[in-house]
Amino acid sequence: MGKRKKYKVKDVAGKLAQGFLKNPLTAVLGIVLLALGWIALTTMPREEDPQIAISGGAVIVAMPGATPGEVENIIVKPLERKLREIRGIEHIYGMAMDNVGIVNVMYYIGEDREDSNLKLYDKVMQNMDKMPKGVMKPLIKPFDIDIDVPIMTLAFYKKKGSLLSTTELVERIKKIQQKINAIENVAKTTLKGAHKEQYNIEVDMGKLSAYHLSMGQIMMAVQSLAVNVPDVKGRTKDGKLTIFGVANAIESVEDVKNVMVANYMGSPIYLRDVAKVEAGIDKQNFQDVGLIKRKDNNIKNSFEKEIPQVTLTVAKLAGTNAVFVAKDVEEMLKEHETEFEKEGIGYIVTRDYGERANEAVNELMHHLIITIIIIALMLVFALGWRESIIVTFTVPAILAVTLFIAFITGQTMNRITLFAFLLSLGLLVDAAIIVIENIHRHLHSHDADSKSMEELLVEATDEVGAPTNIATLAIIMTMVPMAFVGGMMGSFMKPIPLNVPVALFASLVVAYIFTPYLSLKLLKKPTHKHHSKKRDNKEGS
Amino acid sequence: MSGFARFIYNIINSRFKKTLVILLTAVAFFASLMMFPTKLVLAKMLPGKSDNTYSIYVDTPTGSSIEQTRKVTKCIDNILMKEKEIKNISVFYAQGIPLDYAGLVKGASMKRTENVAEISVNLTDKHTRDEPSFLMTQRLRPIIDKKCSNIVKGTNIKLIEQPSGPPTLASIVVEVQGDNIKESRKLAVEVANILSKTDGLVDVDVMADEIYDKYKLIPNIDKIARSGLSIKQVNNILYLSFEGMIIATKNSENHSDQIPIFLVLSDKTKRLSNSSKDAIRSKLTSLNLMNQRGMMVPLTEVVDIKKVKSEPMIMHKDLKRSINVIAETDMVSQVYPLLDAREKMIEHFSKNYIVEKAGFSTYMFDLYLTNKKTGEKFLLRWDGEMKVTLDTFRDLGAAFIAALVLIFFLLVIYYKSFSISGIILIGSFLSLIGVIVGHWVADQVTQQTFFLTATSLIGFIALMGISSRNSLLLVDFAMSLMAEHGMEKKEAIAVATATRAKPIMLTAVAIILGSALLASDPIFGGLGVALISGTVAAVFVSLLFVPVLMDNAKAINGDKFEDTLIDQEHPNDISITR
Repeated sequence: MGKRKKYKVKDVAGKLAQGFLKNPLTAVLGIVLLALGWIALTTMPREEDPQIAISGGAVIVAMPGATPGEVENIIVKPLERKLREIRGIEHIYGMAMDNVGIVNVMYYIGEDREDSNLKLYDKVMQNMDKMPKGVMKPLIKPFDIDIDVPIMTLAFYKKKGSLLSTTELVERIKKIQQKINAIENVAKTTLKGAHKEQYNIEVDMGKLSAYHLSMGQIMMAVQSLAVNVPDVKGRTKDGKLTIFGVANAIESVEDVKNVMVANYMGSPIYLRDVAKVEAGIDKQNFQDVGLIKRKDNNIKNSFEKEIPQVTLTVAKLAGTNAVFVAKDVEEMLKEHETEFEKEGIGYIVTRDYGERANEAVNELMHHLIITIIIIALMLVFALGWRESIIVTFTVPAILAVTLFIAFITGQTMNRITLFAFLLSLGLLVDAAIIVIENIHRHLHSHDADSKSMEELLVEATDEVGAPTNIATLAIIMTMVPMAFVGGMMGSFMKPIPLNVPVALFASLVVAYIFTPYLSLKLLKKPTHKHHSKKRDNKEGS
Repeated sequence: MSGFARFIYNIINSRFKKTLVILLTAVAFFASLMMFPTKLVLAKMLPGKSDNTYSIYVDTPTGSSIEQTRKVTKCIDNILMKEKEIKNISVFYAQGIPLDYAGLVKGASMKRTENVAEISVNLTDKHTRDEPSFLMTQRLRPIIDKKCSNIVKGTNIKLIEQPSGPPTLASIVVEVQGDNIKESRKLAVEVANILSKTDGLVDVDVMADEIYDKYKLIPNIDKIARSGLSIKQVNNILYLSFEGMIIATKNSENHSDQIPIFLVLSDKTKRLSNSSKDAIRSKLTSLNLMNQRGMMVPLTEVVDIKKVKSEPMIMHKDLKRSINVIAETDMVSQVYPLLDAREKMIEHFSKNYIVEKAGFSTYMFDLYLTNKKTGEKFLLRWDGEMKVTLDTFRDLGAAFIAALVLIFFLLVIYYKSFSISGIILIGSFLSLIGVIVGHWVADQVTQQTFFLTATSLIGFIALMGISSRNSLLLVDFAMSLMAEHGMEKKEAIAVATATRAKPIMLTAVAIILGSALLASDPIFGGLGVALISGTVAAVFVSLLFVPVLMDNAKAINGDKFEDTLIDQEHPNDISITR
């Protein structure tokens, strides 16, 4: 110190450096930061794409027998006018078809979903009294991107030689569906291509006219038998209850066959005489799903003929980890493997967003690490390996802070969040580089000997403080307006303006606190020709 | 003075060399801007990304049966089954595939008619596959179109890629708005024809129902009343016979659902011999209705059969009648085909219509048509990805201007001088040269077209901050040299440039290396390239151009810095601790 007056700290940079330089808690702080980052990294929900708040819905109004022109005038136009009154709607799409009118509304991106749905219900319900006659009750279907977009689809099919019938396969899958729904964070599961069991009565038209019957008669005959009535309670004289009831007339498909339809010339005509009656599947449902797979699902084998499949879709709750949900589902299926094997049920995972999300996130994490190593190597050559270690340490610390802040503010880890990190990576080592470069310069300058190590570090940090603050602030300012970009793209890119400023701010604080601290531990003043030993001893302490 | 310092000193000492530097920079700037109109650099919102899946949408004309649709999908399946990289194929008849991001806006969940089908194709892992999914669809598209779209006339087949960014209805959407539906439909078809003739556009589709022949059974009210029947009965019997109805249900303990009992005419007997009026009549004669008196009345007695045209669906957008014509781009930016098609449309429609162009807004491509004879007005509105792109670019542009203003104010607060702040701002703005040239180079290097995208713009905005930091450190250091060491201005600038060159280079290299892996990503490639090339340009600008400007600026002198040093302490503290 000697003759020179003590350096006066001017900037926050210097104050931070001074405050933490000899503080024993600095090391603890560093470890805590890294630990928080680790917690965030492992528990944060992972997704491939960021969540975009798309809200909207459809109002479906059926009017049997109406032509598109009628539907347009009676349903679509008044409904559109009413819905137009709702605030926050960007577009209204009306469709007038035969028998039905549909009005879709799309809210502006970013509108609160619950609010939007409520507003839609509210508007339709308020105007129920204005509904025209002969129109069925309107159906309101808000769409929900989290619940509606499945993260997993599973194709179930019957293996060759399986004895299961189509409906039995569906029954088995329904059991699995029940179990999957019980898994934590699973939201909506649906089946596609599932056929229900049904008794089909196929009337032969020729016989119909031969026996002089009408379809209405057949309908009435079946309906009159297919009634289910609750049991009746009869009371005995001494006040006890005796329960009795009519048994269901139709218990099996045989009972349907034996329904008497009419009397023709004195002899009864049974349903089996005029129609083919069988227990089958709902044949009027043409929404089949086919699967074309390779033999043994091996990519080297050739394709087999198309077989019917039942697709089970699994969606997750909003804000939960797609990776975990998908993994749980897969484990659940593994448990049933032997059961499937026995019954000849095969399955293929035809969509797995969990895996995709994990892959995308891991790939980017990998990129992040490679980038950090490359920058560290570059610094070894430019500044020396001790300096390089110091700068390299600051990177995980900054990322840890940013990640943790993202975690507690309810963001998910997705491609864009990680891109925000990759983007900021080049920027956030800057503060540390500038500080370490100045420390380096000061250590090698000619008046280094006259100052103590601490004083020198604080001075070096403080000196570059002001311009670094301004420059970092300038970059933060370029990012802030991006948060106000609207539309899909704005929502999609939102993690960038949310995270980059945080990372940059963290980079400043970390650079001012940890760079001088680590420099004190790792760096030594270069030995000049007329150095004093006293100084070196002091550094070691 | 070091070698580099002497080099800088030489430049700023000579008026000629200074002018030369400014001139060269200006030339570079305008030359790079010229790359847009000359189409050396193409703009697009987001490029495609390779994925492990894609889907195929099949639309046979409205009114087609599921059998016809199945024939088309069968044909597509046969083509797909020859592909080596396909793992499995799922075909969803009369419905959409389980909802995905593309289907969300393309209305996949609304599909439930017999004339639609969607095919979901799963590919092998993209890391081990040579051919990206977007090249595969590009290759298969013409083959499928040629072989399968003629099986049922009027079939539309679309190959849908997963969107790399936010999903849109289609790359190009032309909304034909007008009250006269017939005329609008005609216009829509003409628009579709022009679009399909435009290079680079594929999967053109008019999103309207086709008009097909159908038969109407007109109930003879008089006869119905006299026979003791009701129209409802007539309707029911027809529906019951041909479509079938669930007439009762049976509860069961052994099944998870009730078992419905379904009544219909048998498939063999209800099939019509052909779709003529007589065939229908002969079928209907065997259908009887029972009246209140228990007498049988043949259905044909009480109805007349008439051939009519089907009435297509009427679509509204924002309360106006509108028909959408959509098209996808085939590996090209949607901007250029759009401009081509629009030119052709203006030419085509000006025969029968008065064509007016729209004013400057994000709907700037719109065309207003007025029929020369009838005076009816129509609007051709360009929507879809193009609109989203324009909106995004407009918003990003506004964000960019806001960023410029914010930085400028920040610098003015710090330096208390407009000219210094201006120098720093100009210096950072010039990194645009690097961004544009960088995209051109990237386009030359990569196989596919490398577009200037929305993410490139984000990169450029971020660059503004980064390169202003370079100039900032430079100006700061030069001023402190003058103030503390009493150096002469030119010398101080030269020394400052040389001393600051190392950290400027270091941070630049850090950014370049940090963004190197970004550049290979499909979506963020633009951002990566913008950062890399922009940073290179920024280094040149701040080490050559900025010193020249600094020398010219009167505001840079020692005294000023002394003042500011004392003054700036305070506001700066506040701004950073907040």
